[in-house]
Amino acid sequence: MMKKIETSDDKWEIGGKTLSSRLLIGSALYPSPANMEDAIKISGSQIVTVSLRRQAAGGNEGTGGNQFWDIIKSMGIEVLPNTAGSHSAKEAITTAQMAREVFGTNWIKLEVIGDQYNLQPDPFETVKAAEILIKDGFEVFPYTTDDLVVAKRLADAGCKILMPWGSMIGSGKGLMNPDNLIAIRKQFPDLQLVVDAGIGKPSHATQAMELGYDGVLLNSAIALAQDPVKMADAFRVAVVAGRLGYEAGTMKERAFASPSTPTVGTPFWHQFD
Amino acid sequence: MIKVSVNGEIKELEEGLNVSQMIEALEYKIKGFAVAVNTTFIPIAKYTDTIIKEGDTIDILAPVQGG
Repeated sequence: MMKKIETSDDKWEIGGKTLSSRLLIGSALYPSPANMEDAIKISGSQIVTVSLRRQAAGGNEGTGGNQFWDIIKSMGIEVLPNTAGSHSAKEAITTAQMAREVFGTNWIKLEVIGDQYNLQPDPFETVKAAEILIKDGFEVFPYTTDDLVVAKRLADAGCKILMPWGSMIGSGKGLMNPDNLIAIRKQFPDLQLVVDAGIGKPSHATQAMELGYDGVLLNSAIALAQDPVKMADAFRVAVVAGRLGYEAGTMKERAFASPSTPTVGTPFWHQFD
Repeated sequence: MIKVSVNGEIKELEEGLNVSQMIEALEYKIKGFAVAVNTTFIPIAKYTDTIIKEGDTIDILAPVQGG
């Protein structure tokens, strides 16, 4: 009997790190910092996204502390700072440089928004920022659409990781264009591909992993669940299931029905069919 | 005194302060932050060489939750 494969048996590399979890998780929107901590722990995720914002000079409750950041630091996991809120390459580059100093990592989730309504990334500014940041020594995790040509431009810019969206940020709609995601996977077998944004249910994460994606990044689906901690556990299992399904190789689809029960030896009541 | 914008608020500062002195004058207490002046990142190594001028726009950013 084959040994049951645990999450920790499956190692992968991204951004120069070897990790066992293929689930990247956001740190925003949880009911409380304690709930965030519990959810991240049970998810098994080893990469957590964070951000930078203006804050009151006195810090939380005037203590100068930052409870959220203290929790993340204590967890000993990789942080992936984002450039959320940037609308130009210049803004994203400045935010990335600030993040590198604050968080002590050259990883950056490059996010340059081109439209406020659907929060679609701006492909032109994203590519421009990626080129400059890579030359400056950053490991760029670009948030992009599922457009194959934009993916090519990002790869040409030197990105080793691509993060096409499943659907709009925070929409929970799942994978809008699986065929586009498949095309990107086929075109870039050697890049690390992570579906980022739009995932709402564990089954969406499983689907992304079954397509051969290396990981999924999500936040709202866990943080906005009725029970974020239980949902984090569900996503942990879903990502493992999808990966195992991909590795096992799914059956080929058929246009017609085909019985799974043997037809030889069918009982007498069918002998005149 | 000079007027500058700090995180979107107008503040009055003494003339000739560098970034380190400005942080002290603002009584900014959050641990772990980074500074940009007029949308250009100022690394810690350049704090003492960077003098704040009238009308400068200063952003001081600190860690927050992110997706």
